[in-house]
Amino acid sequence: MIRQGLLGQLISDLCALPGVGPKSAQRMAFYLLQRDRGGAIRLAETLLSASKKIAYCEQCRTLTEDKLCRLCADKSRDSSMVCVVESPADVWAVEQAATFKGVYFVLHGHLSPLDGIGPEEIGLNLLENRLAAGDVGEIILATNSTVEGEATAHLIAEMAKKYQVKATRIAHGVPMGGELEYIDSGTLSHAFNGRRQV
Amino acid sequence: MIETVVSLQPAFILHHRNFRESSLIAEILTRDFGRFTVIAKGVRTPKSKLGPFIRPFVPVLLSIAGKSELKTLTHIEPWQSAPKLHDLALYSGFYINELVTYFLHPFDPHPEVFLLYQNALSELSNTLELEPVLRVFELNLLTQVGYGLQFDVDNLQHPVSPGKKYCFNAESGPVESEQGDFAGSTFLALEARSFPDRTTLTEAKKIMRSAINFHLNGKPLKSREVISKILKHSHS
Ligand SMILES: [Zn+2]
Repeated sequence: MIRQGLLGQLISDLCALPGVGPKSAQRMAFYLLQRDRGGAIRLAETLLSASKKIAYCEQCRTLTEDKLCRLCADKSRDSSMVCVVESPADVWAVEQAATFKGVYFVLHGHLSPLDGIGPEEIGLNLLENRLAAGDVGEIILATNSTVEGEATAHLIAEMAKKYQVKATRIAHGVPMGGELEYIDSGTLSHAFNGRRQV
Repeated sequence: MIETVVSLQPAFILHHRNFRESSLIAEILTRDFGRFTVIAKGVRTPKSKLGPFIRPFVPVLLSIAGKSELKTLTHIEPWQSAPKLHDLALYSGFYINELVTYFLHPFDPHPEVFLLYQNALSELSNTLELEPVLRVFELNLLTQVGYGLQFDVDNLQHPVSPGKKYCFNAESGPVESEQGDFAGSTFLALEARSFPDRTTLTEAKKIMRSAINFHLNGKPLKSREVISKILKHSHS
C-alpha cells in the first residue's frame, strides 16, 4: 500500500510507537478517523500538552508536570529513604510490588562507558548534592542486575560511603535479562525486603 | 556476502544496546571469525532463554546465521566461568572492549587477539595492579593488528639507553632528546612488557596513550573519559 498525504503521515507516525507495526498503525488510524473523531482530537491535545509540560521532577528526575512529582510532594513519605532506579517504569514496578514508603531517584539509564554515558549523564551530580546535604539516611540500589546496572550501583554505593550514608542493594540475582521490569511483583517485593548492605 | 553459519563458537559480548521492543544488537568478539555485529531477536523478554547470557565479559559459545553483514544470533550458552570484575577492574574491562571494537575490522579473524583478550580479563580479575595488564594488552593488540612498535631502538636505529632522555613519536618511536619526557628505561620496560615501578608505569601510560591516539585518528575513546569521571565521583 502506498501511503500518501495526511493519512499516510499519521500511519507512519504511529509506527514510531513501540510494538506498533504498519498493520496495527493502519487499524488505529482508521479507527480514530472513522469511528472516534472526538477521541482523536482529545488524544492529539493530550499528547501535545503532555509533551510540552511533562519534564523531570526537580528532586527525583521522574516524569512529572509539576516541579515536584506526586511522590516527592507527599509529606507522609519518608524522604530520607531513597530508592535508585533506572527508569520511571521501575518506579511504578516498585510502587506496585513493595511496601516502600520512601522516595525515588530516577537515573534514566545506567553507566555505559562505551556509549559515553557517565555519572553526569545519569544525574549523579544531583544525587551527590542530596547526599552532601545530609538528609539521606539510606540509599536503596534497585538498578538492574546487568553488568552496567551493577557498575552503576557500585559507583553510587561508593558515593554514599563518601558521605557516610548507608547503602543497600536489592537482592535480585540474575533473573531473566536482569531488568527490573521483567521481575514479577512477588519476586520484587522479596528482593526489596531481602536487601543487603553494600 | 555469502550465507554464514557458525556453530558453538567461543566468543565474548563486547557491547550491546537495546533494539526495538524486545531485541538487542550486540558487538561480539569470536575466536575464529573476529569481531562483528549480531542481532539477538526477542531476547529482552522474561521468557527468553538466550537473554541472560548476553552480558559482557562472560565467555560464551554462540551460534549465528545470516546472509547480510548483520548476523542473527541463533544460540548462546555459557562456556567457561566468567572472570569476576569489580570496580576499577570492571571499568578497565569496558576500556579494553572499546579498544578491541576500534582496532579490529569487522570479520577480520584474529584468534591471537581473542586469546590476548581472554587472558587480559582473567588477569584483571586476579590482580590489584591493573595498569601493567592494560599496557601489555595495548602493546600486544597494536602489534597483532599491524601497528607494532619497536621500543629498544630510537629513530636513528641506535639502541635505547636506559639512562638517556627521549621524546616519543608514534611513527618513528623513541627520539633521543635532552628535553625528553621519558626515560630510556621506560621504553625498554615496554619492550620487555615488564614495569618495575610507578614512575615507569606513569610514563608508559603516556607513551601508549599517544600511540593509541595516533592510530585512532582523532576518534575519541569514550570509555576513557567516562572512566575518569567515574573515578572523580567515587573517590573523594
Ligand atoms: Zn520526584
